[in-house]
Amino acid sequence: MIEAQGLTKKYGAKTAVDGISFTVQPGKVTGFLGPNGAGKSTTMRMIVGLDRPTAGTVTVNGRPYAQHRSPLTEVGALLEAKAVHTGRSAKNHLRALAATHGIGDKRVNEVIDMTGLHDVSKRRVGGFSLGMGQRLGIAVALLGDPRTLILDEPVNGLDPEGVLWVRNLVKYLASEGRTVFLSSHLMSEMALTADHLVVIGRGRIITDGPVDQVIAAATRATVKVRSPQASQLAELLAAPDVTITSAEPGLLEVHGATSEAVGEVAAAGRIVLHELTPITGSLEEAYMSLTQDAVEYHSAAVPAGGHTSAGTDAAAPTHEENAR
Amino acid sequence: MSTTTVAPARAEVTRPTTTHKLSFGHLLKSEWIKFWSVRSTIWTLAITAVALVGFTVLLTLAMVNAPDDAGAPTNPLDAFGLNVYLGPLAVAVLGALSITGEYTTGMIRSSLTAEPRRTPVLWAKALVLFVVVFVVSAASIAVAALLQAAIFGGDGMTVDVYDSQTLRALTGYALYISMIGLLSFALGALMRHSAAAIATVLGALLILPIMFSAIPWEPLHKIMPFLPNVAGAQVTQTNDQIAAMAAAQPDVITLSAWAGFGVLAAYVVVVLAAAAVLLKRRDA
Repeated sequence: MIEAQGLTKKYGAKTAVDGISFTVQPGKVTGFLGPNGAGKSTTMRMIVGLDRPTAGTVTVNGRPYAQHRSPLTEVGALLEAKAVHTGRSAKNHLRALAATHGIGDKRVNEVIDMTGLHDVSKRRVGGFSLGMGQRLGIAVALLGDPRTLILDEPVNGLDPEGVLWVRNLVKYLASEGRTVFLSSHLMSEMALTADHLVVIGRGRIITDGPVDQVIAAATRATVKVRSPQASQLAELLAAPDVTITSAEPGLLEVHGATSEAVGEVAAAGRIVLHELTPITGSLEEAYMSLTQDAVEYHSAAVPAGGHTSAGTDAAAPTHEENAR
Repeated sequence: MSTTTVAPARAEVTRPTTTHKLSFGHLLKSEWIKFWSVRSTIWTLAITAVALVGFTVLLTLAMVNAPDDAGAPTNPLDAFGLNVYLGPLAVAVLGALSITGEYTTGMIRSSLTAEPRRTPVLWAKALVLFVVVFVVSAASIAVAALLQAAIFGGDGMTVDVYDSQTLRALTGYALYISMIGLLSFALGALMRHSAAAIATVLGALLILPIMFSAIPWEPLHKIMPFLPNVAGAQVTQTNDQIAAMAAAQPDVITLSAWAGFGVLAAYVVVVLAAAAVLLKRRDA
């Protein structure tokens, strides 16, 4: 259980985290989403006491992190993969951190095997790939068999097999009743892994809730309708909060109306329907719409013909104006 | 590499906290592992040992072969004299790196996450560094004395380790070198940057004394005995040598062996205290 109350961090004039309050519950995976610079890493660093909050408090399992007598068994944290002395072997890195809590080599060997580092454990960390460094960071987080896990971008740099492993691992740990708090930029991965979401932008909480509720609230319901009388149906459906687009003759995409409403209007107007499909939004769409005003570092629009997902290319310049 | 296996089911998560606990003893063990698991430790300690033994033997050789023009009796203890300047150099690098290495690599964040009260990490590191450097330099000085006696004993160049003053002076080299290592460590903890810390400590050890004696300005000469290594090196001298030194320069203060060492220790305490305060306050 992680509880933040009015947590604030200022660096000089810049406010990185602006009075956020949230609770991360045990027994489920809580995803922490937000654009670059939104304050995710700063928040995570404050949870484990690396950064001192300018105001507010954050506790883990009921106490500020620094007041725990065995911090590594309370919280396992992966904050940045390479918080490791590059000249030391992976095994010695783990042994040194384990020793601070009197954790023996048996557990060190366990986490080495769990994270698949067995073959490279005696190599110096300086030569590790991003993915290997990430696995070592996860091994460190697991060392104390902690009740709470905080993982900042855990799948960053991992191969597909590693991504799957992390997904299964965090779900399993949460199912054991542990608290799991993880950030990621991979929306599809987050949608598969998280049960609950905390979305942050410009240092403030944008939304906090179960994944399906967040998606439902942030995306407009879309209904795909195929009908030989499409134009007639479009006229009947016309309303102030309903927009209708048509990609090809006979096919409508209705935004702002439920499939039930569309079906009833069609029946009342004696219109033949060939297809009526409700389309739920994706987490990525929800994320984009939630954070569009909170994006700090905009990418330049991709020239026409370039393919990007979720229509960000068209939307980006407007966001830029909003942000200024 | 098989990583699809998930952790085996373990004890209930709401269990009372495990027997694993953070303690200063555990931190010492951790710092001991860290100390010996980077290459720079072995290199700097080896260089220190070779330098201490090598320069003592070389200087003895030079003294034995020097024309005895003054007619004064040569003191075999003088053969250890170069170690004041050349002994602590590699140790200074080791001391700084043992803490700045953690800052430049990011390791410090792992260390401080494991011990969020932070300052015990500093004390544990300092203790491991001091003890190891003391043991290595004391052993090297002992080997140097043995070699000196074995090679040049016939020329009368052998130190009398049963003389308490001689023993104090020889042990003083190990104390002095370890304390310089600690000074460098404290500067490293304060500056958090390898090159800056090493440059500062080497500047203070090598350049300041030369500057202070070369610039013809009286106050500098008065302050000179209080420079860290000038003061600290008094402990490597016998009381007779210190008395002779005082007689040779009557217009400046000559610190006694322990007073001098105390001045060096005071520098270390001040810098280390400042480093500890900043370690507590700064974001890591």
